[in-house]
Amino acid sequence: MEHLDLLRAWIPGRLDDFLFYLLAVMAIPMALGVLFDRTIIRSGFLLIGVFGSICGLFLVLQAQFLALAQLMIYAVGITLVVVIALMLTNPKLEKEAQPGTAHQQLGSFLVAGALFFTIYCALRSESWPLSSEAVSPDVQTIGMALTTTYALPFEFASVLLLAALVGAIMLAKAERAISDKEEPSKEAGEQNQPATLFERDTTVSSTRR
Amino acid sequence: MIDRGEKKGQFLGAVSVSYGLIALIIVVLFASGLFTQMMESINLKGYPDIYAFVAILFLGTFAILFARGEPVAVMAIGTIASFFVLTVGQEPLVRYLTLAAVLFSIGMYGMVVSRNAVRVLMSIELMLNAVNLNLVAFARYIDPIHLRGQVFAVFILTVAAAEAAVGLAIVLAIYRNTATVDMERFKLLKW
Repeated sequence: MEHLDLLRAWIPGRLDDFLFYLLAVMAIPMALGVLFDRTIIRSGFLLIGVFGSICGLFLVLQAQFLALAQLMIYAVGITLVVVIALMLTNPKLEKEAQPGTAHQQLGSFLVAGALFFTIYCALRSESWPLSSEAVSPDVQTIGMALTTTYALPFEFASVLLLAALVGAIMLAKAERAISDKEEPSKEAGEQNQPATLFERDTTVSSTRR
Repeated sequence: MIDRGEKKGQFLGAVSVSYGLIALIIVVLFASGLFTQMMESINLKGYPDIYAFVAILFLGTFAILFARGEPVAVMAIGTIASFFVLTVGQEPLVRYLTLAAVLFSIGMYGMVVSRNAVRVLMSIELMLNAVNLNLVAFARYIDPIHLRGQVFAVFILTVAAAEAAVGLAIVLAIYRNTATVDMERFKLLKW
């Protein structure tokens, strides 16, 4: 806590507000960069910055456990999965694809702005039941809640994770299984479904080009 | 076939613009109701930030349309400026909720506009993060003893991890079948 006192001496006003605006000003342009960067692998890495600044916001909000979980799951795990998926698919195709039409972009920008303004009006017009008590130690409280009150959802979450794991492996492994079945059917001279799908798509794309 | 596709694209674009205009009209009606309530109860001079927000919107539109500004840079500066103007006089909870609303809107815009499927998944992750930020802010400022918001945030983290794994596996499976990750060409169910 001593370094925080040092920071407080440096920065006039409330330290929480300063840190909040610092992290928000980091998060918003990075989130826009995720959308608009033309090199898609770079936008995958910008995602780490967004998740990192949100992790900092969690620390300002005194949620240390969630900040570390955010850093481990989002900033490392999910971003790694996203980057690996980008490398397995072909990022060069992104350059060939034209961005959406101006009408589309304008329409969705209007919708997003309207959504933001509606949420802001709803937030602002209500008086919140704020509580000024001290925050209880979060690891202990979350652990107690997860093992007593929320024990059943916790177990369901573990079942969901198991199902997602098995499902993801099955989906990603599907090609091998099909190609193993493919060879005897080709010997028999039959056409199977994935091959026809692929051919149809290539014909469509070739006519377009 | 190309002409037909272009016409279809124009038609869809016009439909989305009209949807946006309808949403904008609804919001304007809603906001005007709010403004009349404000005018009845309190004088209008107490709310300068919404006027500043509208002024920033007009300035940004002007900069993009007439001054040939780079749209992304104008959008970033305008977002930060309007966020600062709208939150600087508010309570800390409202600040966090407004930041979450900004991130959610950015994620929704990206989800609609992007054509790369992986980028759509990234936008969904942004939206989930905004919800997490909301829940943690509620836990800090409204329920600091039981911290129920943080418990729900833990569950959202779990679901987000599962969603990312399954979504990216689906994208990979589709990529193997169609050799593209373009959202406009994902029409295996259409013929």
